[in-house]
Amino acid sequence: MAKIVAITSCPTGIAHTYMAAEGLELGAKRLGHTIKVETQGSIGTENRLTEQEIAEADVVIIAADTKVDLSRFAGKKIYETASNAAIKNGANVIMAALAL
Amino acid sequence: MTSQTGKALPGAYKHLLTGVSYMIPFVVAGGLLIAIGFAARGIYAYDAALGLDGKAIEPTAWTTFWANIFAIGAKGGFGLMVPILAGFIAFSIADRPGLAPGMIGGILAGTTGSGFLGGIIAGFIAGYATQWLNNAIKLPRNLAGLKPVLILPLLSSLIVGLLMFYVVGTPVAAALTALTDFLKNLQTGNAIVLGLILGAMMAFDMGGPVNKAAYTFSVGLLSTQVTAPMAAVMAAGMTPPLGLALASWLFKNRFSDDEREAGKAAAVLGISFITEGAIPFAARDPLRVIPSIMVGSAIAGAISMAVGAQLHVPHGGIFVLPIPNAVDNLLGYVIAILVGTVATAGMLFVLKQPVAAEAESSAAAD
Repeated sequence: MAKIVAITSCPTGIAHTYMAAEGLELGAKRLGHTIKVETQGSIGTENRLTEQEIAEADVVIIAADTKVDLSRFAGKKIYETASNAAIKNGANVIMAALAL
Repeated sequence: MTSQTGKALPGAYKHLLTGVSYMIPFVVAGGLLIAIGFAARGIYAYDAALGLDGKAIEPTAWTTFWANIFAIGAKGGFGLMVPILAGFIAFSIADRPGLAPGMIGGILAGTTGSGFLGGIIAGFIAGYATQWLNNAIKLPRNLAGLKPVLILPLLSSLIVGLLMFYVVGTPVAAALTALTDFLKNLQTGNAIVLGLILGAMMAFDMGGPVNKAAYTFSVGLLSTQVTAPMAAVMAAGMTPPLGLALASWLFKNRFSDDEREAGKAAAVLGISFITEGAIPFAARDPLRVIPSIMVGSAIAGAISMAVGAQLHVPHGGIFVLPIPNAVDNLLGYVIAILVGTVATAGMLFVLKQPVAAEAESSAAAD
């Protein structure tokens, strides 16, 4: 069982951001991993990842169409993809990320 | 830090979308306030000393108030639109040091008449120049603070500014004028083709990058008073969720229980021009849903262009239709949206199979 942290973000920041988060959460649940997803939508950052959570994570998933600040994840394995990939099949994204 | 890119968007496109993402609230606030100003005080609302017919009058508290409302939208919102776009494109590329040269380049795009095209170019120049300077310039530890505070802002702004004035400004202004003239004088046949293309793009990924390209194109054009593509794009962005809501309500046996629930949400999202309402349906059944919504959106876009509908605001869905002056040719525009919605529902009826039969055939195929 892996510990995953993720960030989702999209241009309008009202729909894809949250659907991608849901996709990843469902995917993780199906595969039996734990995940925490921080959303960076137009309303701002919600469900912010703590330093502890980042330090304990096995992999960082960035499912975003806009720029996400990666300096918080120095030294971690990062898997970047588009938000659509997480919406369509969160489990596949997680499996690809863990294969890094 | 090991990094792997799995089907992420190309870097340059991500930078553009980041800029657009920050720009949208400025355009929405600006556009809606301008429309409200027009609604209250006619087409000369921006001038407290002009009457409804354009003749000179004595300014009053009333006329001044609406001129202020208009200014909040035009000078405030729209005035910041291009600098923010440029600034955050640069920010996406070069992080915080990119913001200042990006926004400076963006405002010079206005000065040189190169508009939102110039702004996009300025953003990329500022971003890559700042990033290059940041990597190329190395300072001893006790002088390191000088880099972000003094050296980077000065040099990067200088580079962007000079390039805007001497290289980018004039040709891009000419290109923008040519584009604007071309679009304003579009013959009906070509206008319909443009409507079809923009419409199909809006439905293709429902709020994703292709949709955003069509949307950004149309919103950018608002700053040059070309307003027909904006109308086509908003109509085409409303028909996917509206068509799916209609279909899931009329043709119940072709949708699962939670799809029918999603249909109700899609109705609300559709009238608000939130195309993403269609995504749950498309995710479940892309090969049937996506062509259906593309057809409906293309039709809506084409009709909107054909009847000459114009939209002066960048968002708001059904809620901006009653605002006087927000839409030109309101009746034709409403028809475009209705026909597109019905066409979407019709395509879904034809393509989608009854849910029970689908479960049987997929069980048989296993």
